[in-house]
Amino acid sequence: MAIVDTGEIRLHVQRLRPRDAGTPVATVVLVHGLLTDSLASYYFTVAPRFAVAGLDVVMYDLRGHGRSERPPSGYSLDHNIDDLEALLDRLDITGPVHLVGNSYGGTIAFGWAARHPGRTASLTLIESEPATATWAAKLGGILRRVVTELAHNEPDAIAWITAHRSHNTARLAKGAARLARETTLGGDIPASRVLTEDEIKAVRCPVLGVYGGDSDLVELVSLKETLLADFRSVVLPGHEHSVLVEAPGPVGTHILGLIRAAIGIRPVGAEAR
Amino acid sequence: MNPTRPTTEHADEEAVLADIRAMLLTLLEEYGEDDVEIGTTTTFNRDLELESIDLVTLAGLLEQRYGDRVNFAEFLAGMEFEEIIELTVGRLVEYVVHSLKAAEAG
Repeated sequence: MAIVDTGEIRLHVQRLRPRDAGTPVATVVLVHGLLTDSLASYYFTVAPRFAVAGLDVVMYDLRGHGRSERPPSGYSLDHNIDDLEALLDRLDITGPVHLVGNSYGGTIAFGWAARHPGRTASLTLIESEPATATWAAKLGGILRRVVTELAHNEPDAIAWITAHRSHNTARLAKGAARLARETTLGGDIPASRVLTEDEIKAVRCPVLGVYGGDSDLVELVSLKETLLADFRSVVLPGHEHSVLVEAPGPVGTHILGLIRAAIGIRPVGAEAR
Repeated sequence: MNPTRPTTEHADEEAVLADIRAMLLTLLEEYGEDDVEIGTTTTFNRDLELESIDLVTLAGLLEQRYGDRVNFAEFLAGMEFEEIIELTVGRLVEYVVHSLKAAEAG
């Protein structure tokens, strides 16, 4: 396990490199989502395949999540973008990177890309969107529910989830409740500074949106088409918000397609499953 | 963990199971669990209550022990989500034994 101290925070980082030890064709940075998520959602899905495809794959746990440090406060979106910035500096990754973000991780990735348009080679948003006032209000609603129903009434909530969902979901929910109780995350994220339209438009690199067909985020497709210079989207039918872990094959293929096109490599598909 | 040189298939599996059991006990110690029965039918998710991030740590321990002969990330990446939830210690032992033999043969 690699822990990188950015000076502000200790972050758990995993890096997979091309197996033949050749020079990677590009660097891809994978950013996970909120509360129940960690870098494991990439490590056991698309990451090994990206390394086989010749990419230097960087994954890390967000503050408070997985094996990274959990400070009691400092959970605004800007804190998360600062962490990513500091981590890449610490890893000496200065050239353009391909960013992939799942859910809230995509919002972080977009924020980093808006700060560093010249260093962003491509951006994939899985079930995700840039930080806008609408986004903050929606996330505020979800987090309020987590804090009131889960963190402060845990036994009842967990019993309900175990009965109506699964043992695994209940376990994940317990972890989320702990994070919400031990930190200011629930209040910090909805209060985050959001992006202006001009800041969103500053992202000029190719952007791919990947959505589950049954997810309510599908309606974002048209919004992004009007604001982003180079945006395309893929909708995977039969999936909802967890499309990354449910359908890693197609998700990985679309991301590799975007990265290859951005660096000017024709699709070969030899390692596609 | 000492390197082992088992001679039969049976011994292979026993040795790998012992290795993996030791790795899992290291992981579980973090949660204050030091008295856990681990056999081939034990599941990572329901029986051991391990989270997916714990499996990333396990991947690191497997790599320390077996080097690049065993690639746990690729093993799990080839599975459906439900299969990962149901994964047993025995299935991982089989995979490790298979990988080590393939490395030896190749």
